[in-house]
Amino acid sequence: MKKNRIFTNIIDQGPVTLKAAQTRGDWGTTQEILSKGSQWIQDQVAQSDLRERSHGGEYVAKKWEKREAAYIVINACSNEPGSGTEKYLLRYEPHKVIEGALLIGAALGAHTCYICIRGEYLQEREILESALEEVREKNLLGQFQIYIHEGAGGTLCGEETALLESLEGRKAMPRVNGDRKLYGCSAVIHGVETVATIPEILRRGAPWFASLGTLHSKGTKLFSLSGHVETPCVVEEEMGVSLKELIETHGGGVKGGWGFFLAVIPGGSSTGFLPKEICNDLCLDFESLERVSSCLGTGGIVVMDKSTDIVRVTARLAQFYQQESCGKCTPCRVGTGWVFQLLERLSVGQGEKEDLDQLQDLLQRMSETSLCAFGGWAAAPVVSLLRYFQPELEHRIHMYNVASKRVKV
Amino acid sequence: MTEKTQIQISINDMPVECTVGKTILEVCQDQGIEVPTLCYDKSLSISGGCRMCLVEVKGWEKLQTSCGIPVEEGMEIYTQTARVSEARKSSLDFLLMDHPLECPLCDKSGECPLQDQSFDYGEGRGIPAEAKRVMETQEFGPLIKASMNRCIHCNLCVRFADEVAGTAEIGALGRGDETEIRALKGVVTSELSGNVIDLCPAGALLSKPFKGRGKAWEMESFETVDVMDAVGSPIRVQVREGEIMRILPREGEWISDKTRFAHDGLSYQRLDQPYIRVEGKLQPASWADAFKIIVKKMTSLKPSEMAFLIGDLVDMETAYVLRQLLDKMKVPHRDCREAGQYLPVSARGDYLFNTTMEGIQKADACLIVGSNPRLEAPVLNAHIRKRFLGGNFPVALVGQKIDLTYTYDHLGTNALVLKEILNGNHPFAETLKGAKNPMIIVGNGALTSLEGEAIYKTCRAIAAQFNMIRKDWNGFNVIHTAAGCVGALDVGFVPLKEGHDTAGILRGAKVGTLKLLYLVGVDNIPFNGLEDTFVVYQGHHGDAGAHEAHVILPGVAYTEKDASYVNMEGRLQEAHKIVQGPGEAKEDWKIIRGLSEVVGHKLPYNTREEILAELPISEASSMSKGVEFQEITRGFMKESDENFYRTNVICRSSPTMAQCSVELVSTAQKATVRGYEEVVS
Repeated sequence: MKKNRIFTNIIDQGPVTLKAAQTRGDWGTTQEILSKGSQWIQDQVAQSDLRERSHGGEYVAKKWEKREAAYIVINACSNEPGSGTEKYLLRYEPHKVIEGALLIGAALGAHTCYICIRGEYLQEREILESALEEVREKNLLGQFQIYIHEGAGGTLCGEETALLESLEGRKAMPRVNGDRKLYGCSAVIHGVETVATIPEILRRGAPWFASLGTLHSKGTKLFSLSGHVETPCVVEEEMGVSLKELIETHGGGVKGGWGFFLAVIPGGSSTGFLPKEICNDLCLDFESLERVSSCLGTGGIVVMDKSTDIVRVTARLAQFYQQESCGKCTPCRVGTGWVFQLLERLSVGQGEKEDLDQLQDLLQRMSETSLCAFGGWAAAPVVSLLRYFQPELEHRIHMYNVASKRVKV
Repeated sequence: MTEKTQIQISINDMPVECTVGKTILEVCQDQGIEVPTLCYDKSLSISGGCRMCLVEVKGWEKLQTSCGIPVEEGMEIYTQTARVSEARKSSLDFLLMDHPLECPLCDKSGECPLQDQSFDYGEGRGIPAEAKRVMETQEFGPLIKASMNRCIHCNLCVRFADEVAGTAEIGALGRGDETEIRALKGVVTSELSGNVIDLCPAGALLSKPFKGRGKAWEMESFETVDVMDAVGSPIRVQVREGEIMRILPREGEWISDKTRFAHDGLSYQRLDQPYIRVEGKLQPASWADAFKIIVKKMTSLKPSEMAFLIGDLVDMETAYVLRQLLDKMKVPHRDCREAGQYLPVSARGDYLFNTTMEGIQKADACLIVGSNPRLEAPVLNAHIRKRFLGGNFPVALVGQKIDLTYTYDHLGTNALVLKEILNGNHPFAETLKGAKNPMIIVGNGALTSLEGEAIYKTCRAIAAQFNMIRKDWNGFNVIHTAAGCVGALDVGFVPLKEGHDTAGILRGAKVGTLKLLYLVGVDNIPFNGLEDTFVVYQGHHGDAGAHEAHVILPGVAYTEKDASYVNMEGRLQEAHKIVQGPGEAKEDWKIIRGLSEVVGHKLPYNTREEILAELPISEASSMSKGVEFQEITRGFMKESDENFYRTNVICRSSPTMAQCSVELVSTAQKATVRGYEEVVS
């Protein structure tokens, strides 16, 4: 695995100057790649079967279907609980991001790239800015323009149209007709990790990338391990690595041992929980996680051991989604608050069993009728709670009713 | 390649042909298929937030927001499936979760889209829910009463303020379920603010003057036309037990706040019987006595010692009948241009807004001379703003610097700059030359100034120079502020050759050459020093005119008579009698008909139909040819500091408008100056 790693500096955590990056291989053959033309880059990326490294896992080649775009937008704005990969990339591999932007720009004939970065990422922005400064000094970008746009941030910016609205200076709210145009021109939006992966694919060739990973998930991926593991870290692994192996080799194992393992969030909070029964032989790739009705997401793995109050965790996540909902459409605006209030109650068991049915119904309607995907993201952790931990909830309701003497033991 | 403009889709298995670019909702509405919606308005941008308009499209996984998705060839749309009705129920559940159940208390009830849709599509039961959201009370100014607990966050009011009113005073603060709709300065100063009351689908924004006065089902609706400005907005007047409760726009129109709220002025300061001045004090009198005194005075005077003026709210019938009488009496001094503006009357197009409101959308450059359309005709200004937002529409203004809600080049306050434009020495001349459909708007600020005639003629010359007057396009426009002015000009109520115009009449009355001044609804002129002149005032309010009068004859207002008005576009419109006038007040034309009998020139009109048959109603808008050019020498134009809420006699009697002028005008003026500076910088 070691020789196949793309983001070596994330492990090494060395300096991020242009010179240091060049010794790691960045900017090495950029001019050569550029001289091969846009068609070659597009073909290479299509052959590599690269998939978007966040939420849906869309094929990049499919995103490039129109083969040209005026703007490239890089989304470093959409972080959700549990994922730290974006932050690490910006901190330790800024040059890969910039180089990737240049290469995508060349592939699609774009003239400008906007890197939308969260306002909270102060340090990361400074690193990115100084990297950009160095690159400009060496005139590596040519005519290509890269701007860093500091957004107010928000998980909602994971929704592409909302990100574009934010970039255009309005509130980050999704567009109703799914129009993906920026300032009236065509735009292509990518996550940070996808962009940073592209230079290495072009340098080492698509066959190398396609030889890694599984059938539908090629290459390597960054995973961030957090929660109840001995050594939380961000690490790059081949797609299809088993969860247990990842936790044990890189995270130093679950606190209290695998036997004490309760559940995991496999890729950021919007992917829901997976209980131990499923995790025992779970592989981390797009198709395996789809099979268990989850999603690889951003690769932000949160491990929870049996000391976790899973209902309170869900309630806390529900609160997060309540605060992050943009408020444009009714089901999401009202629904997220409603879910939070219900869970607050249920986490101490205050309620009836009928409340669980109501909650289930509510979540289903929320994800079905909301304007953008956010309704579904917000529902996901609660849906998985009901799917895997319903006995726990019922137990709490029973205990509460016993304690308040409404039910005899 | 020819683009296909018609495509085939199917709605509920029914084949439908429709135009490319329309949304699913529009096509459904065209077909008469009901799709409920709470956050959609055809003149505003699309939000898609209410989730009531969801429909199922075959082959698409999620339910689709019909208000925002354009139709595509071969789409199969279903609006009545179980899944759709389930989604509607669910959206209503979410909406009603935070909506207080106070329909019996709410003024909106009975005409509330949320209420109607809950009834039609809702579950029919309440769901046990968590604590309801409670909002702080918000202040929206003297016209709008806000109950934010009822708000369903459709954002219609925000979009209206942003897009149509152009003042961006209402905003959605915060996000998620903490979103709050607020008037940012605690007050909405726009002249069109009342429209948010109609837009609000949930009773969160209500009319403050109307608060608690009635319910929709108690009132009867009548259609008529507004006279507060010369736009002649079509309105619906709602009446309960012979009292006007409120005024609403007709379907799909915006109306100004004056149109909507000034009607309470109709119940104050009204003249309900004739009065005669005896020893300096007005005494009630009978019609016969009042007429006797007038006739006595009239018969003792030569025709050239009398003068007749018509005011801003006078209908066409009155002007026509009075003109017939004056022609018989051979009185030369008469005028209907109350503000004293210069307007030629030889051809109809000379004094109309020829481009028309819809026509503005086709224009591609605009020069405004001496006018503030925002205050003089807010609805017209909204049309110009709409065109401006369409892009590629340079606007320039000669005159007072004001916030028009869109950006413009300010070419100075002096009209001499028009000469430069005419000669092509000004950069804006290039813009006009390059434009296909340029337009020029001339307002009272220019026409009432000392050099009104010269400015008018220069504007005509500019119109000719830049090819604004063609067969397919007429870009020469005059903005009127008086609802009755165009109608009176149409019947030719202007001085005879040897007669005086408004300014001349006032001068004559002051120096004493005119012994009798007959005012029909003239209230906007300050009268003073008329000691020797005998003044007859005929009208509906005891205002400036009545104060000076020796005899007062009570007329009726626009909602109390059947009458014809012509708006500034030259469109004939009818006002209808909706309520009974007060006391002995009569239609103005009937008073003049009566007077004609006693002065011995009996007019042959006994019914309104007889007048209508004779009215010179025309749709022509031809322009007079060969207007001789007149040089502007000094170019000073009138600056107006007119208060939008106090422009006519009805507004001045209205407590609501008084409230507005106290609370809003100072704020608006401050905002205007600030807004303009922001725009410029």
